[in-house]
Amino acid sequence: MTYKMRIVATALASISIAYPALADDKTIVIGFATAESGFMEAYDKPAQEAALIRIDEINAAGGLLGKQIKVVKADTKSDRAEGAKAGLSVLDQGADLVVVSCDYDFGSPAALAAEDAGHISFFLCAESVKAGIQGVGPHSFSASVLAAVQGATMAEWAFKDKGAKDFYRLLDTWTAYNKGICDGFDWMMPKLEAQGAKLVGEDTFKNEDASIAAQITRIKSLPKEPDAIMLCTMMPGAVSAIKQIRAAGINSMILNGSGVDGSYWLSAVPDLTNFYVPVQGSIYGDDPNPDVLKFNATYKAKTGADPSSQYVFPGYVMVDVWAKAVERAGTTDADAVVAELEKMKNEPTLFGPRTFTPELHHQNQTRYLIVETKAGKPGVVGNWTISEPVPMAALLK
Amino acid sequence: MGVAASLANSTAPGAAVAERKPARFALARRTILTPILLSLLLLAIALITVMTGSRPFNQTVIDVFVRVILVVGLYIFIGNSGVLSFGHIGFTCLGAYAAAWLTINPMMKRGSLPGLPEWLLETRLPYWQSAVLAALFAALAALIFGRVLMRLSGIAASIATFAMLAMINTIYSNWESVTGATSSVVGIPIVRVIWPYLIGAVAAIFIAWAHAISRSGLALRAARDEPTAAAASGIDIPRERLVAFVVSGAVMGLGGALMAHSIGVVTPDTFYLGLTFITLSMLVVGGMGSLSGGVVGVVLLSALIQALRWLEAGVSLGGSTFALPKGVQEIALGVIMIVILALRPSGLMGNRELTLPRSSRNK
Amino acid sequence: MLQILFDALSLGSLYALGALGIALIFGVMRLVNFAHGDVIAFCVFALLWPSTDAMAIVFAGQLPWYLLVPFVLLCGAGLSVLCEIVVFRRFRKANPATMMIASFALGFVIRYFLLMLFSSRPKSISLLPELSQPVEILGARLPLLQLITIVATMVILIGLTLFLRQTRFGLEMRAAAENFSMARMLGVRANRVIMGAFALSGALAAAIALIFGIQTGTLDIQMGASIMLMAFIATVIGGLGSLGGAVLAGFLLGAASVIMQVMLPIDARPFRDAFVYGAVILVLLFRPQGLIAARGTKERV
Repeated sequence: MTYKMRIVATALASISIAYPALADDKTIVIGFATAESGFMEAYDKPAQEAALIRIDEINAAGGLLGKQIKVVKADTKSDRAEGAKAGLSVLDQGADLVVVSCDYDFGSPAALAAEDAGHISFFLCAESVKAGIQGVGPHSFSASVLAAVQGATMAEWAFKDKGAKDFYRLLDTWTAYNKGICDGFDWMMPKLEAQGAKLVGEDTFKNEDASIAAQITRIKSLPKEPDAIMLCTMMPGAVSAIKQIRAAGINSMILNGSGVDGSYWLSAVPDLTNFYVPVQGSIYGDDPNPDVLKFNATYKAKTGADPSSQYVFPGYVMVDVWAKAVERAGTTDADAVVAELEKMKNEPTLFGPRTFTPELHHQNQTRYLIVETKAGKPGVVGNWTISEPVPMAALLK
Repeated sequence: MGVAASLANSTAPGAAVAERKPARFALARRTILTPILLSLLLLAIALITVMTGSRPFNQTVIDVFVRVILVVGLYIFIGNSGVLSFGHIGFTCLGAYAAAWLTINPMMKRGSLPGLPEWLLETRLPYWQSAVLAALFAALAALIFGRVLMRLSGIAASIATFAMLAMINTIYSNWESVTGATSSVVGIPIVRVIWPYLIGAVAAIFIAWAHAISRSGLALRAARDEPTAAAASGIDIPRERLVAFVVSGAVMGLGGALMAHSIGVVTPDTFYLGLTFITLSMLVVGGMGSLSGGVVGVVLLSALIQALRWLEAGVSLGGSTFALPKGVQEIALGVIMIVILALRPSGLMGNRELTLPRSSRNK
Repeated sequence: MLQILFDALSLGSLYALGALGIALIFGVMRLVNFAHGDVIAFCVFALLWPSTDAMAIVFAGQLPWYLLVPFVLLCGAGLSVLCEIVVFRRFRKANPATMMIASFALGFVIRYFLLMLFSSRPKSISLLPELSQPVEILGARLPLLQLITIVATMVILIGLTLFLRQTRFGLEMRAAAENFSMARMLGVRANRVIMGAFALSGALAAAIALIFGIQTGTLDIQMGASIMLMAFIATVIGGLGSLGGAVLAGFLLGAASVIMQVMLPIDARPFRDAFVYGAVILVLLFRPQGLIAARGTKERV
């Protein structure tokens, strides 16, 4: 038995020595441990396409540190246990940067595998504070913006810009993302209440609820229709909730997180009006930044379709900021790149400024474009940056 | 190696209860080959895995071993009592969270799970100690729920166990300060060595075997096959069911704890319908009447899933790459399961156990 | 108050229709059909042209309602009968656990088939938008659809009752539900009855799909699952095999859910389902055979 064990140990040792040799020195490897099938695919794929666009641009311009970027992939099958395997698999293929699934829950197993190996992991578009130092470790980042910022942005903007006074809070308890939006709203509300706003009621529902009639009855029983309803939810339940709210004849402003961005579902609620979504960039052809329009055109040329929602954009931002940090550090060594990333303060990107600090590898304050849907037509009506960053205490609630 | 003689048949139900102590040891000697063979099978898999040295494959096999624990846990209750339970994954959930509570760094715990009692906030145990405690915690929960539920039988019991799962899931999905609600609990130490999982799976197999040949296990199987006769010969069915429920709850809790350590994050929705059906399918496809059926079901279905995934990722055949379209894997798995069940309604193993061909000395 | 009654009735209607679909099949085959939820999802996706784009390409959904409704009902019935012929026919003699897992595997196949054709992104569709208008009845303002749901459910229930009581086919089906082997011996043609039950059950699934689709405007691969679970529970606490019991329990579950949402304080509201399931366990403890025990299902010695 001991003899056998020794053979095994020798075999193991020789293999583990052999592995790092696979990553050759002429290329830099970005590994995607994302969903290529299953239900996360619809969310990971678009952001991944955007990341690939940025990689192609960098390669066309001569590469990074004079080396071409090579892409390797492993499918997480939209499953957590598979996610860990996918992470290990791209690491074995020599990945310098491990890109993981959009959602924190599905991306974290792969990110933890990368953290274990001392490599940088980037969540494609996770919006929980855990997608970073707090939930993975010091080498983990997210390319998107915290959900809490979305809730806070909508509340402050609605109060300051639209003069909304009476707010109603409707939370779908399904995911941490939904709760994150409402956490940001809850943090902002006391500040607004000091200036004359009022929270007139709150309620919860579940994304899969076949009907939210009871919740709607509660809103209808208020003495006066609220000015704005903060709706903390996501697809697919969001459409159902919005449709039922409007069908019941409630015409309040509906404030949302970015999760409901996109025009693909608007046919379900014909002539939707008074409906607001914060976005990092516009997919509707009216972004104030002409480079965003150019990106959208490139995306369409590459994939054959327009971006379906703003969640395409963080993929591009991710490769952009990481490549800049590598360029500045002059190496792909994880710790050196992390140090450069943490020096970024309001680093301009196509889709709003990005800041990373040694405490937070995520955005707790950034510019959002506000998209209003009027008679079924979405369009940018302004932009808003919250007056102060969302503090850690509100994020870790 | 061959397949012969069944545990259930070798001990005729009525006779089993009447048998005296010496005969029971004879039973142990006669049946111990089964757990040994199953353990050797798993050991062989583990050794091959270590020899390949591939980290993703290592993780795959860890996953298989965790599933073995869960399915064996299911078998202890479902196989012996004949009552289909949809609720056991609830105990896995309890075990996984208990492991999280016990092993996460106290600093992190204070931040993310402030509602835990003070002594628990300060505790930090090595993973194997926490796994044992997690199993005991799950067993305790099984005892409490079981006291109420074991009075039911048939489909009513199945639904009641499902209601239990749904209750556990709803509570764990919403109790912010203690479970972190729907957001993932992080900071669980990750164990990527294969041996603890192998030990866990082997322990589960031996627990299942010991329970099956115990007085209580024999009585329960007698009650499964001939409820009226068993009740008439003085077997307290709810009590024997409760014993099996608690033992299986403990094994499920152990599986949950190890599962938490294999991925490093836990969320309530991991432990809900998806996992329930996958584990139940493995048990039924393998053959829910036998311990070997459970283990074989896991190993074969996992191998099948893995093979299909390789096909999906693409296999090069003489220069050209052949790949199944993405998503075909799940469809093929479903179809193959239906075909297996149609051909062998009582599972691959039927009610038989894996053992060596009986030598003539025994008969 | 009246509003709450309507809310409870409309949610209960969905559960009742689902429970009826499961109870029908259980009655003739002792099969708990876990694929039912996926049949619901299939029916609603039948309205679209297969494509993985985010924007839904509406196909059959554009038909006028008098063609749309029969089309969807036929889809449901057709798929359901197909399932019977291809799969369940092979499991007539298998034990309930095997059948249950087979039905689950079948549901899995349907779900991933839809996933391949349509991708997981929820699709949106505006079905019969005129039904989303609010109407006022006795001081309660409710969407027209809610009213139609309740009325349609009543019509379906009455129609089904008449069908089962007045026609020969209904008689055969009831006989089969009560004691299948006896009915066979008395000349009931098993295949015909079982296929009939599957067709009816599929059509009921389609009815749910239509109502659900109009109400939510979203088509999601998972959409059948939550209704199916509630329906499944309703079938059991109603008394497996008892059609009346299934309907009653469906309405009770809907009512319990709505009432708890109204009565519970805000902090306890997320735990609503835990209370509902707790109530389910209590009902089962006191009436393990269900509220209305069907004669054929008692455990015999």
